[in-house]
Parts: sequence; C-alpha cells; structure tokens
Amino acid sequence: MARRDTSVPYQPQSRPEAVVSDTGERLDGRGLEEFRSAFLSPHALSQAAGSAYAECGKTKVMVGVYGPRQSARATAFSEQGRVQCDVKLASFATRQRRRFGQSTDERELSGLLATALEAAVLRHTFPKSCIDIYCLVLESGGSELTVAITAAAMAIADAGIAMADVVTACSVSRVAGQLLLDPTADEAFREDGSVLLAMMPAANLVTQLVVTGEWSSAQMKQALCLCMGGCLQLDAVTRKALASSEEQALAAMRIE
Amino acid sequence: MLSLASGSVFDSADLVAVAASSFDQTSGGAPETPVVCVGDTIATDGQEGFLRGHGTQIVDGELVATVSGAVERINKLVSVRTLKSRYTAELGDVLVGRVREISGKRWKVDINGRQEAVLQLSAVNLPGGIQRRRTAEDELNMRSVFQEGDLISTEVQSFFADGSVALHTRSTKYGKLKGGQLVTVACSLIRRQKQHFIPLESLGVDVILGCNGLVWVTPHVAGAPAAAADQTSEPDTDVEPSVSAKQRAAVCRTANALRALGALGISITPATIEDTCKASIDAGVQLHAMLEGPFLEVIISQETQRRQRQ
Repeated sequence: MARRDTSVPYQPQSRPEAVVSDTGERLDGRGLEEFRSAFLSPHALSQAAGSAYAECGKTKVMVGVYGPRQSARATAFSEQGRVQCDVKLASFATRQRRRFGQSTDERELSGLLATALEAAVLRHTFPKSCIDIYCLVLESGGSELTVAITAAAMAIADAGIAMADVVTACSVSRVAGQLLLDPTADEAFREDGSVLLAMMPAANLVTQLVVTGEWSSAQMKQALCLCMGGCLQLDAVTRKALASSEEQALAAMRIE
Repeated sequence: MLSLASGSVFDSADLVAVAASSFDQTSGGAPETPVVCVGDTIATDGQEGFLRGHGTQIVDGELVATVSGAVERINKLVSVRTLKSRYTAELGDVLVGRVREISGKRWKVDINGRQEAVLQLSAVNLPGGIQRRRTAEDELNMRSVFQEGDLISTEVQSFFADGSVALHTRSTKYGKLKGGQLVTVACSLIRRQKQHFIPLESLGVDVILGCNGLVWVTPHVAGAPAAAADQTSEPDTDVEPSVSAKQRAAVCRTANALRALGALGISITPATIEDTCKASIDAGVQLHAMLEGPFLEVIISQETQRRQRQ
C-alpha cells in the first residue's frame, strides 16, 4: 500500500513578505486597527445543550457545550464544577492537511481556552459536575483562539449555564513595529510579538492575557487598548445575538 | 405567509424563530417581560430594596444577570428565568428517569439534571407490596426491582446537603415503565401542573409528563390512572400485554405531536397535545408527515388562533 502522504500535492508555502502596504493598508484591504467582518450565531447544533457558530474573516469555528452533567470518570469531590475544553482543528482546516490525533498546539489551545472561560463560569453553581466544551475549527484563517473563546462563551450562555459575564477575546500582532488588530494567518506568520486579551466587558475584568515577544510599556499599553476596543465591539454583537435568540424562544412558548 | 419548506426541517433551529414571529404578529410586538443577556444590569431603581433570585448576582450593589432570559419580578424577589438550562429539581416533581447503575443500597437515576439522582432501596415498594425493613437479601435482589437501563416514573422526595436529589417510588402509580414510547423535550416546556399522569381518553393514550422534559406515552388502560402496572402484587413478568395496531398508531401520533410541539418550542399541556393530535387527524396527516413543514405550519396557525381567542 502506498504511503498516505504520497497523494498530497506539493504546495509551496509562500507567505507574503510584506503584510502592510506603504499606504497603511493590509493585504485584505483593512486598516491597521480594523476588525475582520464577524458573524456570531447561537444555537447552531440541535443535540448540544448550548452551541454557537462564529466566523471572523476566514476563521470558522463551531462550539458545542454539554452539561452540567456528572463527569464520566470518577474524580475526587469538588465544591466547584469543572470546565473541560477540547479544541480540535479539522484535518482540512489548514493549508497543509493535518495528521490524525491531538497535536501539541491543539492541547495548548484547549488549555488556554479553559483558563479564559473558567474565570467567567460560576462554577460553584454545579458542584461535583462538569461541563464539556467541544470546539471545532473548520477553517483556520488566523486568530483561532480568540474566535474560539468568543464562540465558546456564547455557547455556554446559550446552554443557560450561569456566568459572571460573556467573555470576548481579541488579539494584536506586531509586524515590523506596527500593531495589527485581529491578525490573519499570513500576518501572524510575520509577527515578532503578539497580545491576546480575553475579557468580560460589562464586568470590566480580564480573564486571560497571553503575551509573546518583547514589548515596551508604551507599546504594550497601546496594544491592550486596541484589544479592549476589539473586545467591546464583539461584546455588542454577542449580546444582541443572545438576547434575540432568547426572545424568540420566550415568544414561542408563552402561554396565557 | 410562513416560510417552512415542504421537506423535513425538523432539525432546524429556525423553527422556533418562525413560530415566534407568527405569534408576535398576533400579540402585537414584543413580550411584556424584558429580556436580559448574561452580565446585563437589571434595573432596580423603582424598587425600594430587592431580593436576589435565581440567575442573578450582586456586583457592587447592582443586580447583574448570570444567565440570559426573561426577568421575573415577584414582590421584592427579582430572578431571571432561562429556557434552555438543565432540569432543576423541585420537591414533589413527577419525573421520568433512566436507571444508570446500582451501587450499594441505591439506584443511580439519570434525570437529565446536573447530577444523577439517588433512589434509595428504602424508598421503593418491594415486590408484593409488603412493608418491612430492607434486609441484606433485598439488597442482593435489587435488580429484580429495577435494572440498569430501565425507565422509571418517580417523584422527588428530598434533597441532600450538596444539592443532589433523592427520589422515591412509594406509590402504585410510580415504577418501571414499559410498553410505550419516550419523547424528550426541553424541560422548560413542561410546567408544573396538578396532574402529571394524564389519561387522554379521546386519543386512547396515557401520558406521563415528567417535569424533567421526558414524556412517556402508552396505550390507554381503562380504570388505572396511568401506566406503571408493575408495582402490584405479582412479581415482574416479562409478558408484554398485546397492543393492537390501532393503539400503536395512537401512541405514535401522540408522540409525534409532542416532538412537533417540542421542536416549535410551544408549551406542552394536555390541551395542546389533544389539539395537535386532533388537527392531524382532521387534516388526514400521515404519522410520518407530522414532523414535516406543512403540518408544522398547521400547528403554528392553530396556536396563533388559540392565543388570539384568549
């Protein structure tokens, strides 16, 4: 039998050298501080307790939340419920076809997602139980984790699980000294530093901050301000989508 | 007109939206209760003092919603009711659950809640209905009462300190369920009512509306309130009573009516079940066609009319 890899066509991994033009325009026509077009919709799966589908530019993510339910494996007693996250990149999500099984970057994404959400979910409301969050990245166009966090928070709210506030996330890449909001995969490839911020905008609390590279405090401040602005924009979209889905369900079941 | 395709659109999450928009036209716009999203502040300005209810928390003296849903105000108590959450048990609720495992002197029952519920050996009627202390022998014979995988009707007896639920089946109407069909709907669609064991004689079926969203449909048995024939004096026999094709059709029709109501997000009451079944019979709808677009439209327009009358 032929080796599995032999049928994969050769694709030169040519990433563009310059991601920002002289006029300050990015490859996809955005300005430096402009967000990609976002689409968020709750209740995408019929079988899950709560679910959401999110698109940010080319990045497409589907999230299903199950529970709170008794955890399958026996664990020690805990007053606080557990939040289990599993991020999976579909084998067709990236340019190069992915191998079978969980990779190290998926494990890292799962861990980061769990930290970002644990602070928001009121875990004392479901002692001894756990919620399972399954997140599938259908297409990876850059900033998967931020989209996954936003979608997962929406799915948890859709499941009716108590949270302090919805969580939204946003990232900034630094390419050749310039700060790019919401980077695509091509832009992130050229970055020499990045900031990811997940926060609860209404409560004004940060749940997760991931920084790579060397930053001066002035530039860090600028990057954080950009991220917070992005999070606030996403928050408005999330709230609107959640409230309208809840309103519809109420109107359908109302009984005099 | 409504935009339901003629094919099976049963999976679509848009069904609820279609139903809601139709009802909205009748009642003239937005619902009276304000809807909040997670993290929204709930206005308490007009009130002197308030009590924090379910689905809320207090942050810096302000009341903040922790789930998205409708704000309910009862006197000083302010709570947010969400429609999609898991089942939360209340004392005396009639439930339909599935036995998951036997451990020691108890059965673990899956009731669609946050944790599995506990049914103690001392909280069931022994086969034969004798009243006595439970012995070690009874403990060994627990599988002759309920086995893993059995579906049972039961009632919430009490709560443990950690919030887990204790059930009981100490009544002839509770016990093992067989010879019927199980339908699962969202638990918010089933309100607590006087009767959860409902004989629908006009349809020829008995229905158990479990508060946890599990509904059990069996052919109608004259005399008995409903189902659960197992707790009587004779031990568990595996002989199924004969069920005619007509009775089976009636059970299927009722079950499909429940599924359709569940998909549209319409509250499930004896009246809505009967109306839906009658409408399907009047319109001459085949059993399999009850979950498809054209009949769902019929249900929506019927529900719209019902609300207009009120």
